[in-house]
Amino acid sequence: MNGLFTIGLPHYLTVSAVLFALGLITVATRRNVVAILMGVELLLNAAAINFVAFSHFVHGAVAGQVFALFIVVLAASEAVIALAIVLTLFRNFRTVDAAATATLRE
Amino acid sequence: MTLANLPSFRHLVPENILVLGILALVGLSLARRPASRRLAGAIAFLACLAALAATALTAESQPRVLFHGLLARDLFGDFFKYLGLVTTAFVILVAQRSRDAIDYRNEDREAPEFYALLLSAALAVNLMAAASDLLTAYVGLELVSVMSYILAGFTPGSRRSAEAALKYVVYGGVASGAMLYGMSLLYGLAASTDLATIGRAAATAPALPVLFAAVLCLAGFGFKIAVVPFHMWCPDVYEGAPTPVTAFLSVAPKAGGFALLLRVFGQISGHAQGLADRSPWLLVLLVVAATTMTWGNLAALGQQNLKRLLAYSSIAQAGYVLLGVAAGGVAGQEAVLFYLAVYLFISLAAFTAVAAVADSGGGESVAEYAGLGYRMPLVAFVLSVALFALTGLPPTAGFIGKYYLFAALIERGHNGGGAAFYIVAVAAVLNSVVSLYYYARVLRAMYIDSASATHQTVAVAAVHRVVLVALTVPTILLGVYWSPLRDLVHAAVGTW
Amino acid sequence: MKSQNRVVPGLLALSICSTLATLTISAGSAAATPGPRLRLEPAALTFTHAGEVREVTLRNTGTNVLRIGSTRVWHDGSGVPVFTADPLEATGLLPGQTVALHVRFVPTAATAPLPPGGAFGALLVPCDDDTLPGDPNPGGGAYIGSVALRSSQGPPLLSLIVFFPLLGIPFILLVPRGRESLTRIVALVTTAVPLGLALWMIRQFDPTVTRTAGTWGLQFVEHHGWIRGFPVEYFLGVDGLSVTMVLLTALITVIAVGASWSIPLTQHIRGYFALLLLLEVGMLGVFCALDFFLFYMFWEVMLLPMYFLIGIWGGPRKEYAAIKFFLYTLAGSVLMLLAIIALYYSSKATYLVDGTPTAHTFDMMKLAWANDFGAESPIAGFAFPRIVWLAFFVAFAIKVPVVPLHTWLPDAHVEAPTAVSVILAGVLLKMGVYGMMRVNLSILPEATHWAAQGLAVLGVVGMLYGALVAMAQTDLKRLVAYSSVSHMGYCLLGLSALTPTGLTGAVAQMFNHGTITAMMFLLVGALYDRTHTRELSQFGGVAHVMPRYATVFGLAFMASLGLPGLSGFIGEVLVFIGAFPAWQALTITAALSVIITAAYHLSAIEKVLLGPFNERWRSALAGFDLDLREAATLVPLAIIVIVLGFWPAPLLTTITATVQDLLTAVATP
Repeated sequence: MNGLFTIGLPHYLTVSAVLFALGLITVATRRNVVAILMGVELLLNAAAINFVAFSHFVHGAVAGQVFALFIVVLAASEAVIALAIVLTLFRNFRTVDAAATATLRE
Repeated sequence: MTLANLPSFRHLVPENILVLGILALVGLSLARRPASRRLAGAIAFLACLAALAATALTAESQPRVLFHGLLARDLFGDFFKYLGLVTTAFVILVAQRSRDAIDYRNEDREAPEFYALLLSAALAVNLMAAASDLLTAYVGLELVSVMSYILAGFTPGSRRSAEAALKYVVYGGVASGAMLYGMSLLYGLAASTDLATIGRAAATAPALPVLFAAVLCLAGFGFKIAVVPFHMWCPDVYEGAPTPVTAFLSVAPKAGGFALLLRVFGQISGHAQGLADRSPWLLVLLVVAATTMTWGNLAALGQQNLKRLLAYSSIAQAGYVLLGVAAGGVAGQEAVLFYLAVYLFISLAAFTAVAAVADSGGGESVAEYAGLGYRMPLVAFVLSVALFALTGLPPTAGFIGKYYLFAALIERGHNGGGAAFYIVAVAAVLNSVVSLYYYARVLRAMYIDSASATHQTVAVAAVHRVVLVALTVPTILLGVYWSPLRDLVHAAVGTW
Repeated sequence: MKSQNRVVPGLLALSICSTLATLTISAGSAAATPGPRLRLEPAALTFTHAGEVREVTLRNTGTNVLRIGSTRVWHDGSGVPVFTADPLEATGLLPGQTVALHVRFVPTAATAPLPPGGAFGALLVPCDDDTLPGDPNPGGGAYIGSVALRSSQGPPLLSLIVFFPLLGIPFILLVPRGRESLTRIVALVTTAVPLGLALWMIRQFDPTVTRTAGTWGLQFVEHHGWIRGFPVEYFLGVDGLSVTMVLLTALITVIAVGASWSIPLTQHIRGYFALLLLLEVGMLGVFCALDFFLFYMFWEVMLLPMYFLIGIWGGPRKEYAAIKFFLYTLAGSVLMLLAIIALYYSSKATYLVDGTPTAHTFDMMKLAWANDFGAESPIAGFAFPRIVWLAFFVAFAIKVPVVPLHTWLPDAHVEAPTAVSVILAGVLLKMGVYGMMRVNLSILPEATHWAAQGLAVLGVVGMLYGALVAMAQTDLKRLVAYSSVSHMGYCLLGLSALTPTGLTGAVAQMFNHGTITAMMFLLVGALYDRTHTRELSQFGGVAHVMPRYATVFGLAFMASLGLPGLSGFIGEVLVFIGAFPAWQALTITAALSVIITAAYHLSAIEKVLLGPFNERWRSALAGFDLDLREAATLVPLAIIVIVLGFWPAPLLTTITATVQDLLTAVATP
């Protein structure tokens, strides 16, 4: 019982695993492109949680936390670009429905 | 030999030159008067050449680790930098006359932006090639990916370009998310982000978590290389993106991805000594490679759009190269590097031919290429040579590259790898035969189908002609005399 | 503005190329490190007459004492010693010290005055200079320096023969617009030269040379290093088997050029002749090459021209026939590539022609005579030699063609233009059998014995199947194509017998079938040019209006069915005599095919030449008997067919010695 209430590494890993799974599900099932991008953010942040957790519990040094900061920055830049592409998409297709954009077929 | 921050800068001259080029182009794009595409192209091209020269001149046979372990400077990384920079140089030239990359209508306003993005992607490939830490690997990969997303969607007002960029960004996001998760697990297992430390820790860590983490990392690298099952974006992006961008994507990120693959997984499985120790990781690689080859070739059989056909073909080619990674050892790695160098010339030649045809008003489907052998003889000849080289027929360089790959496989099978390598080798050669079928369809359209009709020759832009010849000469020359490249590859693999 | 369009890209391209060049050159070279360094002067010696003595100096150019083991002379080829050197015991050389050795060239009585194929060897100096390659043979020093020794040869005849057609290609491509008829002349001249050289070579060819003479029984040998890193050598040479094939190829190609007059000049004629010349280079190279890599390069070089020749200038279903041919042949070739690589990695360490040690080799002769593959570890449970044998067999069987891998042949033959059919049937089919003899028989003898019965069965099946299907044909060209399948079955049966007569019969059949089938395709083509049909039912009584044509037609078809007195009989009878002791039942079954063969040939003669004349063709045929050009292509072949029919001695004596060598290779248990 004690082990379950003392917040340790397994808890963080579980949370990040759940986030990862949720991110995958979001990307796979949502049709709105912006929602898909939200799913991608979930994936990246799950990994960031992992890095921070490992950094504290396993490594003892801050390399993982530095990595997490990099992830935040790069995720942000990727989100910017992705949204810009969504804007282009909207300008061309007048919709943000992923299934509607199917001009490239075999 | 690990260097601290300030002494490391000496070894970063090529990257600094690229940064200067990028800054110059960004400044150019902010200028009040729209700069001509020629000026922007010249700046970008000179930056590439200068970076190439700098890499060659500052290359040392003694490998070094820079920035307290973040970057490596060795001949192995330098080889991939050459690949990335040469690709960029050629693509800069091809993009000069490519309407879907730099639209004439907009007074060349996009030219400096386009070239700045291209140079940034080249810089990122350099980073990927030199990564010796998970962080640098991730940053390099992400930078290439982000630049590629933008470049893929660069054609203004084009639906399929926008769709290509969207598909790319979604798949890429998922792939890098998965890869990052895998990297985090590796970090947890090894308590360090340094690749060498991870390799040592992976040897003693429990096998299943390592395998799981490695497979997740493969998602990210595999996405860049476009192997099954991370290849879904490839046909759509190759078809939708502007043709010079497709040419770039078909070589440079692949080269960077393979560099990372060799560095990361070479460390994890101890330079992959063989299936003899029944490592599941090698089995995974072999299965992925075999599936990629077969899937790519079979899916290409039905394609009518040439860019899509070449996309599937490049998926299959990535499968062949992955076989070299699976074969492992010195022979396998040398085969991978050699084939990537040869593939650079071949793939760029093929896509430049497509760009030349599109630029002169032709279409992109195989049917529209009918009679090309008589309308545009040079372009058709170059495309034929490229297709024969992709099949692996002598006397092209593609044959030598394929030979090295098969030799690495058979040597591994002969030295105790077991029958799996022989079987995969047979599958690989049979795939070559299958690939001939759809390449021959293009040949047939160009030369055979309309041999009886009369044709009017169409002019080809001088830039395209120069690039086509500059790419075809090495393709054929390296097919009969390839010692210099071999020596370069040998030196590169020997250093790490 | 326009010139700027050219200059700037040109400068850019130049800068790219120069940068690339500097990159590769500056790929890093190791700085000289101190230690013992052996320097041999001269690096290579060429002897011009018997008894010649030359001096070699060994110098220590390093900074430490150089230890030298006892020198020895190594001979390439069957090891007949023709070079001797002063014995030098193990010694140490101080820095800067030199030692002189004398090397003598003393051909033995059997090879005097000079070995027919040339003598190749090396003076090997084991030492401890670590910049030199390692010694594969234990004893002496860890590294080995070498001085290449060779006897001077005459002009490089084989290289001239093989590569001369390449010289014609630029001239053909540069023929000015409007003067396309010049391409025919250029092509004719360019192909006549290798034929002349081949005839001259035959005159110089010594049919009594066997393996014991020193250079694996080869003559006109050209053996140089090519790509040391691989190690691939430039190794050309002919023995009795290949010299007949080279002559056949050169002859058939000239005939084919003569037959190409019927291709319209407006139909990209420059490309046609350029591809034809490239094809000839490939064909001649395959028969002369004795290094596996070189062999494979020439083999593959043939594929491209054939694809385009059939695909662009062929008949109604040309695209289908061309791609089918290409896919089939490529599938076989890539399997062959794997087999070559497998043999390479299993080969023993040996020396290249200049004495450099190498861990493995591509040299076909060394693989045949100096390697035993029976001891290799099995692949997936199957014996290594058998798997490799099968891989090679599939590749060659597609070419022969062996039923059931023959389905490309009828389409390719029928759709190809006449000249290409002539080359296809006359030469390309023989490469399969040649490959089986050169590779399967010589290099993998134990697997050949294991597969011999299967070979015999396949041969007989091919004979019977080809004959039966030919009998059912209504298209004359298709009938001739299937007759080729049937006739190549004879070669396979003779090969499988592994007796002197059987092998001789197979080779004789190869040559004779080449000439006969060339005649048949020329005749079919002549008829098609006039009437634009090949349906047997449409003809009849052609002999009435075209007597010269009928004579040659009768001659060719009689020769094909094996009439004694014409050359087709020689191969058949020798195959039967040779195969009977080995496979009695199969040979008797095969003899049945003679009856069926006779049936369809006579039936074809009757349907075309005899009976009532179909008046429909009066305007096309009457007065259009064989003209000078067609006669010029047919008559030489007819003369050969008749002469070799009752005097086969020239052909048979040429191949006897080689057959002996082949059987010695196969007899190795």
